[in-house]
Formats: sequence, structure tokens, C-alpha cells
Amino acid sequence: MAVCDREPLMAEQLALRHGIGKWFSDVDAMLDAERPDIVHIATPPPSHLPLATRAICAGCHVFVEKPLTLCHADSQQLVASAIVRNRKLTIGYGFYFDPIARTLRRLIAEGALGEPVHIESVLGYALSGPFGSCVLADDDHWVHRLPGKLAHNLIDHLLNKVAEFMSDRPTVQARAWRRADDTHPASHLLNELRVMLFDQDRSAYVTLTSHARPVAHLLTVYGTKRTARLDFEAGTIIWSSPAALPGPLGRLSCIFGDGIQCFREGTQNVLRCVRGDYHTLSGLNFLINAFYESIRNDTPVPVSYHEILKVAAISDAVFAQLGTEHSRVA
Amino acid sequence: MTVLVTGSTGFLGTVVVERLLARGVTTIRCLARPSSNAAPLRALASGPYADRVQVTVGNLQSARDAERAVAGADTICHLAAAMRGSPSSVFLDTVVATSRLLDAVASSAVRRLVLVSSLSVYGLADVPVDRLVDEGIGLETHPEWRDVYSHAKLRQELLVHEHIARAALEVVILRPATLYGCGRPLLPARVGLSGCGWLLQFGASHMLPLSHVSNCAEAVALAGTGALPTGAYNVVDDDLPTVDEYVRRYKREVGHLRSIRCPFFAAMLLSGVAERLHVSSKGRFPRVLTPYRTATLWRGHRFDNRKLRQAGWTQLISTRDGLARAFDDRGVRHHVALRRDAHVPEPTATSPAELAPVFSAAVSTRQ
Repeated sequence: MAVCDREPLMAEQLALRHGIGKWFSDVDAMLDAERPDIVHIATPPPSHLPLATRAICAGCHVFVEKPLTLCHADSQQLVASAIVRNRKLTIGYGFYFDPIARTLRRLIAEGALGEPVHIESVLGYALSGPFGSCVLADDDHWVHRLPGKLAHNLIDHLLNKVAEFMSDRPTVQARAWRRADDTHPASHLLNELRVMLFDQDRSAYVTLTSHARPVAHLLTVYGTKRTARLDFEAGTIIWSSPAALPGPLGRLSCIFGDGIQCFREGTQNVLRCVRGDYHTLSGLNFLINAFYESIRNDTPVPVSYHEILKVAAISDAVFAQLGTEHSRVA
Repeated sequence: MTVLVTGSTGFLGTVVVERLLARGVTTIRCLARPSSNAAPLRALASGPYADRVQVTVGNLQSARDAERAVAGADTICHLAAAMRGSPSSVFLDTVVATSRLLDAVASSAVRRLVLVSSLSVYGLADVPVDRLVDEGIGLETHPEWRDVYSHAKLRQELLVHEHIARAALEVVILRPATLYGCGRPLLPARVGLSGCGWLLQFGASHMLPLSHVSNCAEAVALAGTGALPTGAYNVVDDDLPTVDEYVRRYKREVGHLRSIRCPFFAAMLLSGVAERLHVSSKGRFPRVLTPYRTATLWRGHRFDNRKLRQAGWTQLISTRDGLARAFDDRGVRHHVALRRDAHVPEPTATSPAELAPVFSAAVSTRQ
């Protein structure tokens, strides 16, 4: 194992802190010297395409942090490169594989939800957090140079959870703005984003907010039979079903039903905590293991290229129309 | 004489600017990051010290900004460092920033560099507790086993040592103890782990290595004005309290605090369990305590400040007065919820009296 960073001091500290014997400041030197099987790319997004292409050309399978590239065309190029060279490629959709997201997918496949009608994906973001404060502290931070700035770096977390429910060509309507009460000098970045996606018989709302409190990470899927509310912070799924009893009794039964589900989810999460699996990166661990398994067994990658490209296309449509009217994904 | 102060908007930086002015430095260039609150320094630069204080906005991670800040400076007081944040941001803001600064220094006319390092760079795990820690003690050999801040400060200091070998530069390295003063958290890591009104107190009778921000700033100003010979110096105040005395006084003067005293052997046991949890959970349980960190931080080593005193440094504010002011400020805010002037009064007659309102504004802003 080896690590590489263009800044040798950063490569050195990472290697030392994680007990990795070798570090490099030149990716070609690392690829030549180490000949790795798999390369994880966790650099700023503008470098994803050139670095991933070099790694694929060097015969490596590649795990790329989101967003895969800066636009749909670049993502298509990268996916094509992986297919042509028979290398596997995946993207860091950690929350997509969170235990509750996997459970939801399984139950939907079993018909527990009925037909999905509407999906709402909400991601709160604390600008005062470790990464947010770095972004705000540095006018020259790479996030400010992304076409969609902070939203560009985060939108995949929102879109990948709704894209699977939508067609390849949903109508997209997007608005983004900076709140007037945000007076931080570096916060010219767009810190509030709303996206609406429409298909013929299905819709989705996407909310990125850096001001709403508490900082939330939610997914709600409304189905023809039931509704599922996923809380990625708490790690819970709460199902809402039509009341089985009439009048006030029915309404009360819904409240107590929610309480019972919360207790059950809480108990399960205590057990997950004991197992050391109750944390926000649980889904990422699953994804990495699944990607490695797909390489070992030469099975399909955990995130289909079709889904990756669908998210990239919707993302393009969002950033193309900020400040303009709605448009359709090309 | 032009002195560049990096980290000039920070807790120590504002007081260093004050002490440099008091010591008669003709031009002080304050480097402030774009996101920092440089208003108090700008007030100085556009007010009573317009001819002596300059404010330069820039980020030391940028080679261009570093070169611009260094151009024309004779001396650099390098205070900029990150104390918290993700490991990568701590390294970027501390180590990479220092690397950019040293690159800029190499092609400049800078003659003297004053680095504010930390006592945490010493490798104390194997040093007997009865050995007074002076500047001759070896540096940490396993910084990765400590916390990220210590690791970054050590790497920063090593960078400077590497640079000394290549350039003809006078270098003074100051290794301050835990800084305290108004506007600073009063339960530092050397006391123990605190949170939610509780304190897990490590140790009882050993001295708490502290330095009042004004005393440390005075050492920086001495070094920056050439009054300290090159070399490394511990910056530790005299008449220090024991951990027990400090915690008792905190409870009496600041506010309610529930504390559990944990003797050293128990701290080591607890650290062993915490490290096992960290390893068995594959890093998901945070690495809060490790036996190595406990052995270096909470064993009760005492630090020697004789070299600094012999070079001419004197404590501007006694520990007794410094703690009284810091505790009084915190206690008033804790109990009465009154916002009061948290300014540290000028300790010496050599300090310009006009600075008082400006720096009280700086402290208030930080709160």
C-alpha cells in the first residue's frame, strides 16, 4: 500500500498516521513503482478525470470520490475508458449503501412500499464543521472553483438517492442562492439549493441547506401503500401506514406505532453500536468491500455505470440552469 | 526594522503585536487570513499606529501570498498554526503553511525567524518524571502516536531545523506551555478531559505548565527584536499551580464543575482500554486516549524556563494575577451572563496606553 499527494508533506503525514510504508508526490512515480491493483482517488474533483484515466491506463481498478468528474461528458469518457480497458470503476456513494438505504431498497423490491410516488432528499450542511470552516477560511479553496461551488461537491449525496426512482430524462427545475443573513466574506458560494425532478407519474424534491437546524440528512419515499422516512443521522427507518382504526383511534395508533418503531430502531442501533457498525461511514465501508469483491469475483460493480451517468446528467441540468428556467436533461 | 507577524489575529498574535509596539518596532506587518477578523488590527493600522502597523491579507498556503508577505521584512514572528480541525487541515495550516513561508524566506532579506512551537514537541514518554525538562531533551520520535496538533507542531519545527541547515538565518524557537488568558477555554487538555460540565481530571499534585498570553507574547517580542540569542527556549511561567489547586480554584471562581480525579496508573489503564476499543472498532471509536499520549501529557513532567529567564525574559503578569483575571472574567460571564470588558490591563509602563481600547475590542470580538 502507498499514498500519494502532490504536496510531499501531506503524503508523509498521511502515511505516518496510518502506518503506510511508502508515500509519493508524483502519481506516475507511484503507479510505476507500486503497480497497485486498486487506486482510490480522493483529490479535488477537477483532477478526477486525468488521475482516474492514468490509473486505468496503468491497469488499475479505480474508486473515485464523488462527483465522478465535473460534467456528464467527462464521466461518460471515464466510464468508456474503464470499459474499454476492462477495468472496474466505482464512485464513493457511501450513503447510498448505508444500512438503512440497503434495507429500504430490499423492502421496496419486496413490495412493502407499493409504487413510489414522490421522493424527498434533504441534506443539511454545517458550514462551521471541519470541512465547511476550511472552505470558508480559504477564498482559494478548490470548492470555490467548482462550477456549482459547494453544492457541486455535495449534490451527488442528494441525487444518487433519488435518481434510482426516476427515469433517464426527468424534467429538472433548480434554484440556488446565498441566504441574505449569511455575511461571511467567503460565503459567495451557493449554500441553499432546491431541485425538483418530474417524471410522468413521479416527482422528487432535493434540498441542500446550510442554515436549517438541526443539520439533517433525510430521505422520504412516498409510496402507493406506505411511506418510508429515513434518517441517516440517527440511522432509522420509520414507516407510515394508513390507519387501520377509524377516527381518533386511528390517529393515535399512528403516533404509538411511530413510537414502537423508534424503540425498535433504537434497540437495533444499540446493537450496531456494540458491533462498531453505527457510524456515518458504515455505507462507505460496505461499498469498498463490495467493490473489492466485484474485482475478486469479476462480478458487476456495486454502482451501475448507468446510475452514475444518470446522476451526472441531472447534475449537469441543475448547474446549467441555476438562475434560469427549468430544462429537460439532454 | 520590519517585523512580519503571521497568525496576528489569533489569541497570541494580537498581544504579540501589542508587545512589539511597546518595544518600539518601527514597522509591524500583520498577516491575516481572508476569513480572519482583522478589524482590531485595521483599527490600529488606520488609527494611532498608522505609520507602524500594516495589515496584509493572505494565506500562507499560497506561495504568492507568502512571498508578498515576506518581501521587505527583516524578522518574522511565525505564530500561524491550526489548533483544531481535521488532521489534513491542521497539517495544511501548520506544516504546509510553514513550508511555503520558508520557501519565501529563502529568496528574501529576512535575517531572523521566530517560530512559536510547543512543549508538545518533546519526546517525554521515556523521560523520568523527576527529570526537569529543559531544551536539551530530545524531540518526539513517534509524533504519529500523539495527537495531530503535536504531530504537526513537531513537523513544523523539523522543517525549520532543515531550513536552518540550508540558509544563513537566525532562528529562535519558542516552546510555550499551555497558553491561558481572557477569552481562552480554562480547562486545557493538560488538566484532563472535559465536557458537559464534567472533568476527568488526570493527576493531582503535579505542576500544570502554563504561560499567560502576555508573558508568552513578551518572549516572542524579545526574540523578534533580537534580544534573545538564537536557539530553543521553553516558555513557562513561574509559581505554577498543581492540577488540584487549579481545579479547586476553577470550581470556586468560575463555576460549577463535577470532576473525577483519575490517578496516573488509572489513566494509563483507561488509555489502554480506549486504545483497544479504537483498534477493535477499526478506528470508529475515536483515538481520544492512548497510553503513549497519557505518558507524555499527564505524567507530571516539569519544564525548565531558566534559559529564557537568563536571556532576559521576565514574567509580565504573575501566575496569581493572570489566573485571577482569567478566572474572574470567566466567572463573571458564567454566573452573571454579563458581557464585560475582558481586556488584560497593560502590565508595564512601557506599553502605550492607547492600545487598551483596541485590544479590549479584539478580545471581545473573539468571544
